[in-house]
Amino acid sequence: MRSVVPELVLAAALLATPFVFIHLGASYDLMGRVLDWGILGIGFDLLFGWTGLLSFGQAAFFGTGGFVSAYLLVYHVIGSVWLALAVGTIAAGVFGLIVGWLAVRRIGIYFAMITLAFGQMSFFLENSPLSAYTGGENGIPGVPVPRIGFGSTAYAITTGLPMYWMLAAMFLACFILARRITQSPFGVILRAIKENTARAAMLGHAVPRYKLATFVIAALFAGLAGGLLGVLQSFMPPDAFALDTSGQLVVQTVIGGVGTLIGPTVGAAVWLWLRDNLQLIPEIGALWKLVLGIVFVVLVIVLRRGICGEIREIWRRRAHASAPPPAPVIAAEVLPLAAPLVRARQDAPALETHGLAKHYGGLRAVDGVSFAIRSNSIHAVIGPNGAGKSTLFKMLLDEVRPTEGDVLLHGSRITGLGATRTAQLGIGKSNQLNHLFLDLTVRENLRIAALARRRGPFRLDVLRPADSIAEVERQIDTVLATMDLGERANVPAHILAYGEKRRLEIGMALATGPHVLLLDEPLAGMSPAERTTTRALIRDIGRDRTLVIVEHDMDAVFELAERITVLYEGSLLAEGSPEEIQRNQAVQDAYLGGLREHEPA
Amino acid sequence: MPSLPLLLSQAFNGLALGSLLALVSSGLTIILGTLGVLNFAHGAMFMLGTYAMLVVVQATGSWFLAAGVSTLFMLLVGVVVERVVVRLFYRRPPEDQILVTFGVGIVLVEAVRAVFGSETQHLSTPSWGEGVTRLGFLIYPTYRLELIGIIAIALVALYLILYRTAIGLVVRAGIEDARMVGILGINVRRTFLLVFAIGVAAAGFAGMLYGPLVSVTPDLGDSFLIQAFVVIVIGGLGSFPGAVVGGLIAGEIISITSAFNSAYSEVMLYAVMAILLVARPQGLFGTEGRV
Amino acid sequence: MSLLELEAVNTFYGDSHILFDVSMRVEQNEVVALLGRNGAGKTTTLRTIMGVLAPGSGTIRLDGKPIGGLPPYVIARMGMQLVPEERGVFGGLTVEENLRIAALTAPAPWGLDRIYAMFPRLAERRRSRGGSLSGGEQQMLTIARALIRDARIILLDEPFEGLAPLIVRDLVRISRELAAQGRTIIVVEQNVVAALSFADRVYILNNGHVVYEGTPDSLHANPEVMKSHLGV
Repeated sequence: MRSVVPELVLAAALLATPFVFIHLGASYDLMGRVLDWGILGIGFDLLFGWTGLLSFGQAAFFGTGGFVSAYLLVYHVIGSVWLALAVGTIAAGVFGLIVGWLAVRRIGIYFAMITLAFGQMSFFLENSPLSAYTGGENGIPGVPVPRIGFGSTAYAITTGLPMYWMLAAMFLACFILARRITQSPFGVILRAIKENTARAAMLGHAVPRYKLATFVIAALFAGLAGGLLGVLQSFMPPDAFALDTSGQLVVQTVIGGVGTLIGPTVGAAVWLWLRDNLQLIPEIGALWKLVLGIVFVVLVIVLRRGICGEIREIWRRRAHASAPPPAPVIAAEVLPLAAPLVRARQDAPALETHGLAKHYGGLRAVDGVSFAIRSNSIHAVIGPNGAGKSTLFKMLLDEVRPTEGDVLLHGSRITGLGATRTAQLGIGKSNQLNHLFLDLTVRENLRIAALARRRGPFRLDVLRPADSIAEVERQIDTVLATMDLGERANVPAHILAYGEKRRLEIGMALATGPHVLLLDEPLAGMSPAERTTTRALIRDIGRDRTLVIVEHDMDAVFELAERITVLYEGSLLAEGSPEEIQRNQAVQDAYLGGLREHEPA
Repeated sequence: MPSLPLLLSQAFNGLALGSLLALVSSGLTIILGTLGVLNFAHGAMFMLGTYAMLVVVQATGSWFLAAGVSTLFMLLVGVVVERVVVRLFYRRPPEDQILVTFGVGIVLVEAVRAVFGSETQHLSTPSWGEGVTRLGFLIYPTYRLELIGIIAIALVALYLILYRTAIGLVVRAGIEDARMVGILGINVRRTFLLVFAIGVAAAGFAGMLYGPLVSVTPDLGDSFLIQAFVVIVIGGLGSFPGAVVGGLIAGEIISITSAFNSAYSEVMLYAVMAILLVARPQGLFGTEGRV
Repeated sequence: MSLLELEAVNTFYGDSHILFDVSMRVEQNEVVALLGRNGAGKTTTLRTIMGVLAPGSGTIRLDGKPIGGLPPYVIARMGMQLVPEERGVFGGLTVEENLRIAALTAPAPWGLDRIYAMFPRLAERRRSRGGSLSGGEQQMLTIARALIRDARIILLDEPFEGLAPLIVRDLVRISRELAAQGRTIIVVEQNVVAALSFADRVYILNNGHVVYEGTPDSLHANPEVMKSHLGV
C-alpha cells in the first residue's frame, strides 16, 4: 500500500508556509521563487538523483519554456496564460528530446559536458542571434498574470499571496506526479540504471530509452518552471539560460538532498534566504555565497546526502529497527517461468552456434565454433585459460558481436540483436562476479529482473505502483523460495553474505524467466560447503530449462553436466558425454601442457 | 565582408586567445588524463593567477618578481587543493569529482570576491609591452605579440617536462596504466599531486598574462573554463598535443567568426563541441575506448 | 628462514573468497612453479604477494619481514617484481622508455646495454612504441623490465600464454638462464610441461586451496595427481 504521508505533509507545509515564514522575514515573492526553483529541481532530481545523470545544462530548458511562454503572451499570440505555459513546457520538452537524444549516448563527464555545451549554446543564442524574439540582454518584460475563469468575472492572480497559492498548487501537483513516477515500474528501473547500468541492460531493459524519457521529463518540469518564473516576476530574465542557473540548481540540490524530490526546494530556500538575509549584515554581506560554497564542498566530501537525505536516513533507520519480521514467502508449487517469446521449433536445439568466431585484430579469440545444445539439458563448456570461453559466452547472448558466424535460439537467429533484446527473447545469464543492485533490497533486485520480460524493453508506465503487477510478484516469490532467500527478502543486497549474494545473482537471471540460462562460473569464490548446496540448486533449476555452464570446478562439472564441450585456444577441441571427455587424450594433453609443440627443445 | 587588415588582426587575436586557451587546456587535460578528474575549478585557478599578479605588481612594481612569486603561489594552491580535497575523490564516481571541483571553484571565486570586492581592478600593461608593433601593413599591440611568445615558451617548457624528464615519463605512463606504474616501484599518488599542481600552475600562468588585456573581476575565469572544456574535447581528453592544437583552433574559431558576426562565434564553438562529443568523443588525438 | 613465506593467507575479491589458508615457501635461488586450472587462484596468489590485493588474513614474509597490506610500490622497492598476465606494457611509450621508467626507483638498476645484450630483439626495437610490439616481444619487454630493476624475486604470471611455440621455446630458455644465474622465480603457468622443465619445486592450487607440494620428478611419478588437479 503506497503511503501518501509525504504528500499530505507537503500540502500541510505549503498551507502553513505563508503564515509562518512571513514572520521570519520572507516575502511571498521569495516563497514563490523557492517553489519555482523547486519545480525545476524536481525534474533535475529525477534525472540526477534517480537516474544518475548529472546535467549542467538544465537552464537550456528552463529558459526555453520561459521565453516561449513569455513571447507568446507579450506579443499576443496566445491570450491565455495557462495555454502559453503549456506550450512553453512542450517546447522545452521538444528541445529536451533533441538534446537528450544526443546526450544520453554518453555517460559521466561526457554527458555533463554535452549538457554544458547545449546550455551555453542556448544562452548565446538567446543573447544575440535570436534577440529579436528574446529581447537579448534585456529579456522580455510585461508578462501578464494568469486569470482563473472567463470574461469579465475572471479573477486575476496578482503578485503576492495569490501568486504564492498558484505556485504552491503547481508545486504540489508536480510533486505528486513525480512521486508516482518514482514509485512506478518505470521509476524502479531508473534506480536500477543508476545503480548498475550494465546489469539493467543485460536483464532486458532498453536503457537508452529510459534515459531519454527521463531527460525529456526533466526538461518538461524545467520548461514549466521557466514559464512560471516569467509569470511570477512579470518579466523573463535572460539569465534564465545562464550557466549560473544550472550551477545554482546543482548546488541547491546537493545541499537540500539528492534523490529526495523535495531536496532542491529546501536547498533553494537555504540559498535564497541566506542571500537575502546575510546581505543585510554589513561585515559579512558579500560572504553568503562563500559560506554556501564551503558548505557545499563539505557536504560533497562528507555527508553526501544533504539536509533532507539525512533526515530520511534517520527516519529509515528508526523504521527498520522496529520493523516486524517479513511475512513468510508462500510459493505453493514452483510455477513454470515465463512463456517463450520465440516460437520454438519442435525439434530445434535450444541454442546452437554455426561457425562462431571473434577476431581482435590478429588474435583469434574464438574460431569456427559450432555446437548445439539440446533443450532441457545441462551443458558445460570447459577449457584451459585463454581458451575463449568467456568470449564465447558473451557471444551467445550477443553481448559481444561475433566477427563471423551465427547464434540461433530455438532455431531463430539472434546474432546482432544485442544483449537487451536477447534477454527479452529468453536467454538469461548470471555473471562470474556479482552484478547486483547493492542499495536495493533482495526483493527489489528480483523485481527489476522480473519486470524485464513481463513489460518488454520499455514502457512509460509512470503512474502505476511498481508492485502492482500480480504475475511479477508471484515470480519474485517463486524465485525467493527456489533460491532460499525468503527470509532475506527485505534486506539491502549489500548486507548479504557472499554465498547469498551469489544466489541472488543466479536468482536475478532466473527471475527473467529464461528458457536458456547461462551460468558463468556459478561456484566462483565459494567455500566447499557452499559449493555442495549450490550444485544441488543448479540441478533443481536445470529440471525445467536449458542450462549452459562455464566452470573450472571439475567435480561439479562432471557431476552436473549431461554433455561437455571443450574449447582450446579458441577452437572446439572435443565434445561429448562426461565419460567420453575424460577418456579423451587430446583433452588431457591440452590441460596439462599444450600438446606436443610446446615441449621445449 | 570584413576588410583584410581586420581579418588579419583578428587572426592574431585568435593566436593570442588560442595560446592562452592552449596553456589553460594543457593543464586541464593532463589533470584529466592522469588523475581522471575533470577539474571544474580550473577557471578559478586561471583567475587566481591574474589576482596574484595584480597584488605583487602593485606591491613591488616588478613584473618578473611578480611572475615568479605568482607561479610559486599557484603551485602551492594546487598542492593544497589536491591534498585537502581532490585526493579524497580518486575512487569516487565521476559525478562526485565534478561536484567537488565545481564547489572548490565557487569557494575560490567567492573568496577572492570577499577580499577584493566585485569592482573591476586594473592591471596595466608592463613597460616592455606598451605600444604597438608594425607587422607589414598591420599595426598590432606589442603586449599581445609578447604574450604569444611567452606562452609558446611556457608550452615548450611543459612539453620538455612531459617528454624529456622522468616525471613526464611517469605522467605519460600513468595516464595509460596507473596500476602498472605502481607495480614498477613508483609512488603514483605523489605523481598525482605533482600533476595537479603543474596543471593548476599552467592555468594560473595564463591568467597572469591575461590581466592587462581585460578588466579584472573575480568572474573572469568562467568563460575560460568552459572554452577549455571545448578545447580538450576537440583535441582529445588527456592529450597534451591535442590541447595545444585544439586551443589554437578554438582561438581562431572564436576570433575570426567574431569578425563576421560576434553573436555566432560562441554558438559555433559549442555546436562543434556537442557534435564532437557525440560523433567522435576521442577528438583529434585522443584514444578511443576511454569514453 | 625462507626468502618468501606465506602462512594461512586468505584473499578476497570484494567478498568473494578466492584463497583459502594458502601456505607456501620459496627459498633463495629456487624456481617454484604454481600450477592449477584457471580459477584456482594462481594469479590471485601472485597479486597478493605483490600487494596488488591485500590479504584478508594470514601473513606474508619477505626476508622475515611482514609485507602483507603494503602497497605494491613499496614491495617493488624491496626487490619483488610482478610480470603480470596482461603484461602491462605502456603502449604509448617506446621500448626504451618502458625500460627507463622501470629503472627509475631501482637501487642498482642494470645498464641498458646489459638488457639489450640479453634481449637483442628489444635492442632492434628500442625506439618502437610499446603498442606496436608483437606478443612475444611484449613479453620479453615485461621480463626485461623486471630484470632492469635487478629484482630478487620475479613473479611470472602465465609468461607463455598465447605465444607461438617458437617464442615459448625462447622464453623458456631465457627463464632457465635466469634460474641458472641464481635468481628466485615463482612462475604461474597452465602450460605444465613448460613450467616443469625449469622448476625446482611445484605447488598445485585447486579452488583456492593448496592441494599438492613436491618436485617435478615426484609429480611425474604421480600421474593421477596431475590428472585430477590439473587435467580433466
